[in-house]
This record gives sequence, C-alpha cells and structure tokens, in this order.
Amino acid sequence: MSTILQVAEERRGDVPVLFLKGRMDATTSPDAEAHINRLIDKGDRQLVVDLSGLEYISSAGLRVLLSGLKRLKASGGAMKLTALAPEIQKVFDIAGFNRLFLIYRSLDEALGTDTAR
Amino acid sequence: MLPELVTDSIILFQMMCVVVIFAYLVTRTRFYTEVLEGAFSWKNQAILILAFGILSIYGSASGVDILGAPLNIRDLGPMVAGFVGGPVAGIGAGVIGAGYRMTMGGFTAVACSLATVLAGLLAGLINLANKRRFPGTLLAVSGAVLFEGMHMGLVLLISRPLSQAVELVSDVAFPMIAVNAAGMFIFAFITLNLENERRTSRERDRYQAELQRKNAELQIAREIQESFLPPSLPTLPGYALAAESRPAREVGGDFYDVLGSPGGRVGLVIADVSDKGVPAALFMALSSTVMRASAAWHQRPRDAVSDANALICRESGSGMFVTLFFCILDPAEMTLTYVNAGHNPPMLARADGSLIELQSSGIALGADSGAAYEEREIRLSPGDLLVLYTDGVTEAEDASQQQFGDERLAELVRGLRDRTAGEALAAIQEAVAAHTLSAPQYDDMTLLVLKVGS
Repeated sequence: MSTILQVAEERRGDVPVLFLKGRMDATTSPDAEAHINRLIDKGDRQLVVDLSGLEYISSAGLRVLLSGLKRLKASGGAMKLTALAPEIQKVFDIAGFNRLFLIYRSLDEALGTDTAR
Repeated sequence: MLPELVTDSIILFQMMCVVVIFAYLVTRTRFYTEVLEGAFSWKNQAILILAFGILSIYGSASGVDILGAPLNIRDLGPMVAGFVGGPVAGIGAGVIGAGYRMTMGGFTAVACSLATVLAGLLAGLINLANKRRFPGTLLAVSGAVLFEGMHMGLVLLISRPLSQAVELVSDVAFPMIAVNAAGMFIFAFITLNLENERRTSRERDRYQAELQRKNAELQIAREIQESFLPPSLPTLPGYALAAESRPAREVGGDFYDVLGSPGGRVGLVIADVSDKGVPAALFMALSSTVMRASAAWHQRPRDAVSDANALICRESGSGMFVTLFFCILDPAEMTLTYVNAGHNPPMLARADGSLIELQSSGIALGADSGAAYEEREIRLSPGDLLVLYTDGVTEAEDASQQQFGDERLAELVRGLRDRTAGEALAAIQEAVAAHTLSAPQYDDMTLLVLKVGS
C-alpha cells in the first residue's frame, strides 16, 4: 500500500475529471483539496472524481470531498464520484455519504449521465 | 637558498595566516558581535580601536620587501575598524597605526601615516552611509582597493623627491592593493559568516520559543477537551459501563458522553469528528455541547439527533462532519433506542453467542441539513455486551499498514461476552496494541462498553 495520494486531472469535453490514486488521509488530502478548490475558483461547476485508484479513505478524505460538494452545490453545480472499490464504498455507506454524492460505477457512466439522476 | 619568489611567497602567506587567525579570534569576541548588532558603546569602540590599532602596528612591523619593494598591510586594521565600528573606530585605529609609522621615519612617513588615518575615516563613513552596518564583501574589498590607490596618490602628492616617489609607487602599487584587498576579503568573509550564523541561531531560538508556546497551549487545550468528557461514569444497578478516549495527537476529534434522562433512563453517545488535530478538536467541542443540549431537550433520540444535525450544519464550514451514535437505555424495560448517524456500527455480543451490529440509520451530522434520521429499538438480555467504538480502533494499522479490521474486532467482542465492561475494554485495547506494536497511533481511538448484568 502506498502512503501518498496522486492527483491527476484530465478534461473530458468541458468537464474536469480528477483521478485520485493511493491513500486519502489527513496527511495526503490537502493537495486534493487545493486542486478541487482551484477548479471551483476558476469557475468549474461540474466535477467528476474518479476513485478507481483509491486504496483507502479516512474521514479527513471524506471531509475534502464533502467540502467540494458543498461548494459546488451552493453555486448550482454537482460532483460525481465514480468507480469506488468495495472498501471505499463501505466507508461511504457507513457515513451515509452514498445518499449525498452522485456515485457511478464507471467514468463513462458518469460522463454520459445527466446531473439530475 | 630558495629563490626570492618562493621565500617572498612564504612571507606573504605567513602574513595572511596572521590575518586569518586575528580575524577569527576577534570576530568570536563578544564586543565584536555586539558592535555588529549595533551596540556602539564607548567601551566597545575603545576595544575596537585598540585591537585594530595593534593589527595596524603589526601591519607596519611585518612589512617586508617583496621582490625589492616594501609591502605592508598597515591600512587593513583601520579599514576593518571603520567598516565595522564607524568613523570614530576607524580614525582611532588609524591614529595608532599612523603614530607607529611616524616613528619608523623615511621619506614617505607623512604620506603613509596620513593615508592610514584617512582609510579608517573613509571606511567609517561607508559604515555610516550603510546605516551603521558592515558593508558586503564586494563593497569592503572595493573600498580596500580604492583606499590603497589613494594611499599611492598621497605618496606621489606629498613625498619628495618626486622621482623616488614615482619609482616606489610604480613598484609597490599593485602588490599593496592586492595584499590589502586579500586581507579585507578574509575579514569580510568571516564577518558575514558570523552574521549569517547569528541570524540563523536567532531564528532557531525564536522558532523554538514559538514551538514551546504552542505545545503549552496544546497541553491546555487537551485538558479542556478532557473536561468535556464525563469525569466519571454513573453506576447503574444491573448494568456496568467502561469508557476511554485516546487522541492520536495532543487533541482529537473523538468523544463519548453519558447523559442522565428522566425516569432513570441513560443516554449514551459516541462520536468521531472528521479529520484530526486542532480543527477536529474545535468541532468536537461544538458537537459534544450541541448533542448534550439537544439530548436534554428531546425525549426521543431521533428528534435529539435531527436537531443536533440542524445546529451543527450551520457551523460546518470546510466540509467538517461528525459521525455519531446516540442511544437511550431504559434500564427497567431493558431496551435500547438508538440512532446511528453515519457511525461505525456498534457491536452487540449476545449471551447466546450471536453478534449483531447496530447499523447506520442516517447520514453523519453536519453533512446535510435536511437529513432524516431513523430510530430503532432492540431488547437487551442479561449478559449482553455492547461495544461502541470509533474507527481509530478498527483502522489501527501495524507497521505494514494492515488494519486491525472489523472482522477481528467482531471476533474479539464475541469472545468477550462473559467478561465485565472494564475487562472487555482493556482486552480490546490490548489486542489493538498487540496488532500495531511499535507503529505510532494514527487516529483517535475511543471505546464505550455497556455490560448487561446477568
């Protein structure tokens, strides 16, 4: 298991897709938080976060995603999460965050779907 | 006999060695550092004058014929004194050096003596212009070159017969300038090194004092935070409680609470704030207070948690949230009514050997102001053991990042059903410690255990 979080960004059409790979905890989350905030500050309102490479997420990582979601929702935007591994999905389920985020099985599904699920 | 060039080089080398040692010793003294830091007391200036006056005398006395030309570093002392201590120090050291030079006589005595005093004065003026600070290496060395040039000019201007003065200057001008510039470079280098060193050590001291203050504050914060937890657990006839919270850092985001309720009922709370450290601790203070107030106000856990969520949502900037399990135990009826707001499901080991988990029935507090919370009720039986925990327990990692895990905790709790609350708590803590061994505790770890008497 890694002790870092890699953050990569790709544009699919107009929509930025953020790939988070590794471990998202109190130590590693600040980079991802800065990246998400930067996108929102620049005016992006739709954000897709691909979690297929995520091995672990702590409450600090959840906080970063929730913070982004709240900012996006406040300005009429949305955040979609895709490709959660079973352990990651379990963390979302326990905290009840599966009811808060739009969660998709794959990146294609997230990109092909309208925000109003 | 060695060739003249070699012996002369050795003499020059010797002179430079003396300069290096003198510079090293003098810059290490307290008066020198005091002057550098701006303490131009009369005592410091007097010492400066004396020390660099002596260096100036040495400069004359050690003067040698290099390749047939007389060479000396008399001006070096007054120049350094001026650059470091200002015009008074420069002139003072210059006068001492000049006085000694006058006693040596010769047709250049007046010009050379005058040049030494002037070099000290001009260096002192540069110090003044530089806000009484030592100028950089470049300025100091350029100054030395300039003043030695001026020295040569004075010899041409004053010393007679002129033909002899011209011959002397054309022989020694270049080596004099070079050797004094080299001496100045040594002083500038050591002085600036010293200034850097002192600046670094000042910054380190400041940083350490800051760190100490922060640590002291964190220690106080920890004590305040501990005071939010129940100072002692109530004794319930037919039931037993045990609890402990261990923050990973000085302060943490976990908490538990035991609240009295009308009719002998008892409310139990365990909660875990997102993230760690000071932000989590502040949010913990808010959440525990809100939950305590809300639980006192409402009869039903569902209403207490819903209200707490609405209040916490108003304060939850930057995505902070808190997972929380709240239940009300009715000791007489032997029922447990609970709401699980996104918290790790507590484990109930039943006397018959089965184990159930009190699953999440709503979203973590602070995440969604419109969240609805479901209330559930279970009946307790004699001998049941209920373990409430935070994810610091199940996610405790060993050195190779293997988590303790839910399954292992479930297995452990199942095996502890015959133990008392205190024994069960200690056994879980020991098992986690045995798993993590030397790996540092990464997350806050809290346990609250309820044992139903048999």
